[in-house]
Amino acid sequence: MIDSSPAPRPSSATAPLRPGARAKPLLDRLLEVRELPPGIGLVAVVAFFSLQTGNFWSPQTMTAISTVASTIAIVSVGVTMLMISGEFDLSVGQNFAFTPIVWAILFVSNGVNEWLALVVALACSASVGLVNGLVTTLFGIPSFITTLGMFFVLEGLNNLLISGHQLIMFNPSAAMSALGGRIGATPFYMPIIWMGGIAAAFAFALTNLRYGNWTFATGGKVGPAKAMGVPTRMVKRTNFVLCAFFAGLAGCMQFAYIKGVTQGQGQNYELLAITAAVLGGTSLFGGSGTILGSVIGAFLLATIQIGLVLIGVPGSFYVTFIGVMLVIVVIANVRLGRFGSSQA
Amino acid sequence: MTGEDHVVDRSGEPVFELRAVSHSYGRNKVIFDVNLSVFAGEVVGLVGDNGAGKSTLLKIFAGYQPPTAGTLRFLGQDVRFSSPAEARAVGIEAVYQDLAIVDQLSLWRNFFLGKEIFQALGPLKVLDRRRMRLEAEGAVAELGLTRIRSADQPVSTLSGGERQSIAITRAMHFGAKLLLLDEPTAALSVRETRNVLQSIGRARAHGLGVLYVDHNMSHVLPVADRIVLLELGRVTRVIDRGEVSVEELQDLVAASARRLQA
Repeated sequence: MIDSSPAPRPSSATAPLRPGARAKPLLDRLLEVRELPPGIGLVAVVAFFSLQTGNFWSPQTMTAISTVASTIAIVSVGVTMLMISGEFDLSVGQNFAFTPIVWAILFVSNGVNEWLALVVALACSASVGLVNGLVTTLFGIPSFITTLGMFFVLEGLNNLLISGHQLIMFNPSAAMSALGGRIGATPFYMPIIWMGGIAAAFAFALTNLRYGNWTFATGGKVGPAKAMGVPTRMVKRTNFVLCAFFAGLAGCMQFAYIKGVTQGQGQNYELLAITAAVLGGTSLFGGSGTILGSVIGAFLLATIQIGLVLIGVPGSFYVTFIGVMLVIVVIANVRLGRFGSSQA
Repeated sequence: MTGEDHVVDRSGEPVFELRAVSHSYGRNKVIFDVNLSVFAGEVVGLVGDNGAGKSTLLKIFAGYQPPTAGTLRFLGQDVRFSSPAEARAVGIEAVYQDLAIVDQLSLWRNFFLGKEIFQALGPLKVLDRRRMRLEAEGAVAELGLTRIRSADQPVSTLSGGERQSIAITRAMHFGAKLLLLDEPTAALSVRETRNVLQSIGRARAHGLGVLYVDHNMSHVLPVADRIVLLELGRVTRVIDRGEVSVEELQDLVAASARRLQA
């Protein structure tokens, strides 16, 4: 309950009026923590579904939410790095299907060693990113267009490769267990461990390595970054490659987890990954964002997706809900001056 | 502040010198036989109207383009820069108003951008955040900018003048010999302008040579030791501080503008 009586507020009343003093209203400081709004959102959504349905905390629900969230989060880590450096990748969803299709064709259908096949498949996904990065930086066109083109290229390739069929592997191999197997007797599967490791590594890199510093600078303002000696094109290309690589890796995990892949896998993932990043406070214009925020954003999306199913809303409806929430969050962020308005 | 007592020692070699420099873009000649030198501890104001060739000269100074004729000398040696990076490497630092600072980055990240300090963490080279923060705080503390509370503050919270001052301080901190400023006080308030001019004065006191390019005489006058007037690609006058009043100088600029239109 909120006490509405006009209570005296000694802290602000007696605060010295000293410009430049360190003391700042608590609310202002909290608003500066980007992960806080999506964090609160996640807690609220979890609380809501816990109250609405008895089986929210069941192992099945935990499995569903954690694996959906993990794969979106891994894609979103790459997308976040790329967005911070000022570019987009709309081809990650198709790459999410393309890479496991290549992997499965090589080792399920053609008997290639599964690890070798995995390396080849991941090299394919990384080269998709390299092409995206080179085309965008060499020709100076918006990555929105480059990667939209790549989206269609990969969609066509996926079609060609499995033409509507499903590739299934009933007996999971060692590589599949490592990527998507169950963790002991817990309701959790390997993707969540991979996600934790990848997210932690990039959260660290973003704040503690030169690569992170240069990624922020490149997306913040290319001109000064270049003037200060940052190889901005190189930074962007690196992030294009990483972004595509992680989309492919997450796709392979999805395949390993559900033991099959269709060309429809990863549909909408490019938009979900961007949505997770934006919900987590990453700027659409580059120069700011956090990995933890994107991970929270991914869990928020997954919780809503699974939770709506649990309370009996048709599963496909959840994207409508996500769409509305995305727009509201961006409006709120612009209002708070987090991004955009001043430099758009 | 105005540095009336400031005496420039011009007995040695200038930091930077243009000798008989001409420049053409295709068949279009824009710089004619310009001689220009900047000494250590000297602020040279390069003043001229639009189209006088200021930005061409600035680009030659900053290493964006070698002149089509003439020689450049840096600390007594002939030099030829094929990129701005080469000019930066010897200590020529250009501070452009919109190319100096990445707004979203914190103060210390801006200060050390491209010149990060590392510490070893196992096999990794990790940013030494603490040291960079302390050094940036120390360097900026002299500026007396009241709005800066910590080096973690994003630069977007600072005003245009404060950003300029930080960029100038950064150049000094990293041992620049020559500072190139392109209209650093354009669009700044009076108070802000004073702050930037103070930073320029501080750079001069540190022994840097400063080339201050502006179309407005009155911006340059309070801080320049020498004013070089550029008209249609030629140096038409070199004025030592105190020789002429602002009004006279403004008349000179206006006169050249009238000639341009005629």
